[in-house]
Amino acid sequence: MNWVRGLLSRLAPLWACLGLLGLWQAAALILNTDSFPTALEAIRAIPAILGDKESLINILASLRRMAIGFSLAVAVSIPLGLMMGRSRGVAAFFNPLLMVIYPVPKAALMPIIMLWLGVGDIAKTLVIFLGVSLPVIYHSFEGAKAVEEKMLWSGAAMGMSAAKRLIRIVLPAALPEILTGCRTGIVLALITMVTSEMIARQSGAGNILFNSLDMGQYDTVYAMIIIIGAMGIGLDAAFERLRARLVKWSEPGFDIPLSFA
Amino acid sequence: MIEIDRVSQVFRTSGRQDHLALSEISLDIGDGAFVSILGPSGCGKSTLLYIVGGFVNPTEGVARMQGKPITGPGPDRGPVFQEFALFPWKSVLGNVMYGPRQQGIKPGEAEAQSRALIEMVGLKGFEDFYPKELSGGMKQRVALARTLAYHPAVLLMDEPFGALDAHTRTRLQNDLLNIWERDRKTVLFVTHSVEEAVFLSDKVVVMTRSPGRIKQVVDIDLPRPRRRAELLLDSHFQKYVVDIERMIDDTGEDRLLP
Repeated sequence: MNWVRGLLSRLAPLWACLGLLGLWQAAALILNTDSFPTALEAIRAIPAILGDKESLINILASLRRMAIGFSLAVAVSIPLGLMMGRSRGVAAFFNPLLMVIYPVPKAALMPIIMLWLGVGDIAKTLVIFLGVSLPVIYHSFEGAKAVEEKMLWSGAAMGMSAAKRLIRIVLPAALPEILTGCRTGIVLALITMVTSEMIARQSGAGNILFNSLDMGQYDTVYAMIIIIGAMGIGLDAAFERLRARLVKWSEPGFDIPLSFA
Repeated sequence: MIEIDRVSQVFRTSGRQDHLALSEISLDIGDGAFVSILGPSGCGKSTLLYIVGGFVNPTEGVARMQGKPITGPGPDRGPVFQEFALFPWKSVLGNVMYGPRQQGIKPGEAEAQSRALIEMVGLKGFEDFYPKELSGGMKQRVALARTLAYHPAVLLMDEPFGALDAHTRTRLQNDLLNIWERDRKTVLFVTHSVEEAVFLSDKVVVMTRSPGRIKQVVDIDLPRPRRRAELLLDSHFQKYVVDIERMIDDTGEDRLLP
């Protein structure tokens, strides 16, 4: 019986999905309006989208921008956050700047960015970059700030230089916190990706979504929402597995000290 | 040889007044000596240790190691902290190997040395455990092995057993003395336990608080190797403990009676 329970709990997200789809189906049947297709109708529209070359190119273009924007953001934000966390001077310089940028919705910058950079890949990737950067900088900063001073002293006593301590001690010690930021970053990358394509409609998953909305193809609209949602869930789950592997040493489930002097 | 030459330390506090943590401390520590710095909390004894470690720069005065002024941390002075400060992402073996690897010793050689050290501190079989999985006493054993692994000439121990329960503390004191007897490194040991200081040391430096000053340096003339069970019954040992306790009481501040 235990394996049944195990299987049930492992498939919990699946049950949640099925439950939501069931609710959707029931609600659509009850409301019975054109603009709200049933879950089954929406699901039936998915193969047509994924089978269409044009749509596929759009979706892949979205994913490519998201991957580039996310990677660039992480590559810049982690070192910046770590340096801010360990140096008062660096923090004092960047903090006011970030405090101003932080509450501004990145999508609201889109018109200005479009004005400068056009509606192509660069503008959209830049918005994704901005969206991902802030949570990653913030969490890297907090993680680096919390690194125990004595741990760094121990490294210094071994003859490690400040730069080496930043890479070999601060980075791994702050990694659990950094990865929490990256996980938020992935979701934000998806959000900014769709929003940027909604504003600059030229290619991408968001472009398909809003074009079909304009044309009243509601089953395609809902099918795209399912596809984008599935991408988000898939990316998040994959990242979570990677994260759990990388910071196994810090997981609370691990925390059973042995009683031995 | 460590020379501490008229070292003073002032800390800027958030209030208006600066806090004088150490005032004109002068102390010489000979090679191979086990010296304890004893005093109430807040007397600056840890700060003095950090100055020798090069982690803190003194406001005035200078500390020298083999005649050269100490300007920063270095592998000739190995710290062991009360907080253990292990690298949590490294296994026991990874932690102990860390120093030798930083010094460019080849992985195979570093591993062999580290395994031997882990056995010496009594943790054979725990090489692949992570710090999170260990008790406080075990963590401090790892920290000691990690520091010994890069062969510092001086061990700087900052209340290393302060966070441990009494039983564990006693076991680690005994084991530390056994390990120390093998190569008799210079040890600077900060503690607030009189008994611990007398049991371990050749010399006990008694400090007073606010500002931190040396009240007296007591030579502990007890034979080595020392056995705890014998010493506790030894009248010389008892006299040292009582005398030093009285010295600390005399420093005033905490007296209840007017």
